[in-house]
Amino acid sequence: MPALTHSRPVRLAAGFAMVATAALVLSGCGRVDNADSAAATAAIDDKPATGTVSLWAPDGDANALDDTMAAFKADNPDLDLEVTLIPESEYNTKLQAAIASGTGPDIAQTYTEAQAGFIKGDAFAAVPDGLVDEDSFFPGSWAAGEIDGTAYTVPWYAYTYTLVYRKDIAEAAGLSAPTTWDEMIPFEKGLMAAGATKGLGASVGWDSYNGQDLTQLVWQAGGELINDDETEWTLDTPEMIEAIEYNASYFTSGVADVSGPGFLDSQPYFVTGKTASSITGPWVIGQFDAVAEQDGWTAENVGTATVPAGSAGSIGAIAGGSLGVLADSDNQESAWKVIRYLAESDTQIAQYESYGSLPAVQSSWEDPAIADQPLLDAFFDQLQDTRSYPQRTTWLQIATQMGAEMESVAKGQETAEEAAANLQSFADGVGTGE
Amino acid sequence: MTALRTSTAPNTSGVPRKRRSRGVRKSLIAWIFLAPFAIVFLTYTAIPALAAIGFSFTDLQGRDLRNPFNVNFVAIDNYVRLFADARFIRDIGNTLLFVVVGVPLTMALGFALAVALNSGIRRLRGVFRTIFFAPVVTNIVAIALIWQYAFNNDGTINNVLANFGLAGPNWLDDTNTAMPVVILLGIWRNFGTAMLLFLAGLQAVPEDVQEAAALDGAGWWSRLWHITLPLLLPTILLISVLLTVFYLQVFDEPYLLTDGGPLGSTESMALYTYTQFGFGNYGISSAASVVTLVLVAVVSVVQFRLLRPRT
Repeated sequence: MPALTHSRPVRLAAGFAMVATAALVLSGCGRVDNADSAAATAAIDDKPATGTVSLWAPDGDANALDDTMAAFKADNPDLDLEVTLIPESEYNTKLQAAIASGTGPDIAQTYTEAQAGFIKGDAFAAVPDGLVDEDSFFPGSWAAGEIDGTAYTVPWYAYTYTLVYRKDIAEAAGLSAPTTWDEMIPFEKGLMAAGATKGLGASVGWDSYNGQDLTQLVWQAGGELINDDETEWTLDTPEMIEAIEYNASYFTSGVADVSGPGFLDSQPYFVTGKTASSITGPWVIGQFDAVAEQDGWTAENVGTATVPAGSAGSIGAIAGGSLGVLADSDNQESAWKVIRYLAESDTQIAQYESYGSLPAVQSSWEDPAIADQPLLDAFFDQLQDTRSYPQRTTWLQIATQMGAEMESVAKGQETAEEAAANLQSFADGVGTGE
Repeated sequence: MTALRTSTAPNTSGVPRKRRSRGVRKSLIAWIFLAPFAIVFLTYTAIPALAAIGFSFTDLQGRDLRNPFNVNFVAIDNYVRLFADARFIRDIGNTLLFVVVGVPLTMALGFALAVALNSGIRRLRGVFRTIFFAPVVTNIVAIALIWQYAFNNDGTINNVLANFGLAGPNWLDDTNTAMPVVILLGIWRNFGTAMLLFLAGLQAVPEDVQEAAALDGAGWWSRLWHITLPLLLPTILLISVLLTVFYLQVFDEPYLLTDGGPLGSTESMALYTYTQFGFGNYGISSAASVVTLVLVAVVSVVQFRLLRPRT
């Protein structure tokens, strides 16, 4: 057998690579900014939507679109709405690939908290003037879709994290929900003294979601992750160190276990009292009854409260789903009409009733379907005090590294000071992107 | 006119014209049959692979998706950044550990079962072959989910150990045990393929050679060492190369079981490449995949040189 280095395919590959590289070098090689998508398109009329509109969304909240869109479809008989649900873990990758190949849908859902990578390019069209009333949404939700004052997505559903705890155990111990960082560990220890195996179910770190958790702690401590003109990450700060140490104290104080529970176990652990609190999203409210196999278990045993405040307050992060129209869409007019309908207050309530997606439109929360649920009050309050993560294209890398550093500190591999210095060094290397 | 044309184009090849045109027709038919594979291979493998090589010399990012040629040429910057990244170096180590431990163990298990099926177990051979091959064709996502439950802190394994008074570790969250579990999943998923190929190789070993050696007094071990294994060398080479190539690109097992954790102890080069792709760093991601390609090529050449049968 001839040696691989002399084989024809390898020579061909090397040749092609040289040609490809040469083509890049010779083709002007240099990025030219595209500004065409920044201009908002003309106002959308009230005529019925027509033609085919394709919509891509991650498997989840969009599962209810058949129900939610039924009335709209009846009123717009000439519209063919094609909804494609994609597994959540593959969603961003598939959307990126589709945009790259020009085969994307007309409408794409983005995650409100992580959409910078999509809307910073020229893949999405600007939201037409007057399509929706931006003041009707939670401020953080709308702001997360804006770049330099131009909106590229419309909020669809919104959520944030609150402290969800075992009210029955807390009441038995005579405890009320903590309102400050200082009250948090004693509260968790009290839950353990009253029978819980561990007070807090928390993840020790390592991925971008943990980095997002840490970000909220930094805000609560009064810190900022990036300077005002967004040209430099500011991660090696006293507030970052304080936040990392506070997070690690969950584990070093013994109120949380470094080994979990993992994502799949978090609800069974909570229901069985292996853990008695968690900082989590609103979806758990609708799921505990099923895990406990008892109707009414949640109302009887669960309490919610806004996250404990640091020195700068009880600040949360906005999250959820937003919808945008791709710049390549050849039916933008009808696509925007679909989005406008989904952002109407009544549709938002219908979406909540069908799937439990919390409305991004504030007035929808006054409907009895939501207002009569006391466990959601803390989420509404927290949504008033939320911020969006830095809208920079390199944010996901920074958040992932933050997660990794959190894990190292919580497991005693490095100090908070070292972690903050490592983070800054990493971030300086990566840059702020766009 | 016709005569003139004939006279100016003599048949100088020495091959009769009829036979030559038949050869051309045969070649054409062969290309027609080859075309579907060639088109799919070029579209989904060769061109993307070659494009990745080109992209690895650029700063292609997520924002350039719609204008992939509207990027900057950065020479070898991506490679310099890769090898300055402690995380990538660690992931090369993790991947090589997966290969160095996983390949021999997978081959040993596959070979042992193939020998058992070829000699000892004659009844129900088809049933056992099917059972051993089942992990190869079972959905890895389902398998990984079950393994997660089994190796969780309070999962099946630790519950069984607890019955014997033993406290098991938190397998998937302990840097000492996570990688062994990930490797074990890789072995479990691939030993069936190795077994099947070894079985085919064993069945091709001539019976008369074995019988002659037995008559000369060679024992079972002696025949295995001096006859079976040398004759199986091409099969061993094939399996070792296939497994090495597969394990150097290991992705599913760490991604589904541990997501590269804890503390990055199970993150592979392929997982690093995927992560960078997710970040929109297509230039770096392409460079990482080229490094993997080079590593695969180098290791394969070494294996061919070490294991090819001597004539």
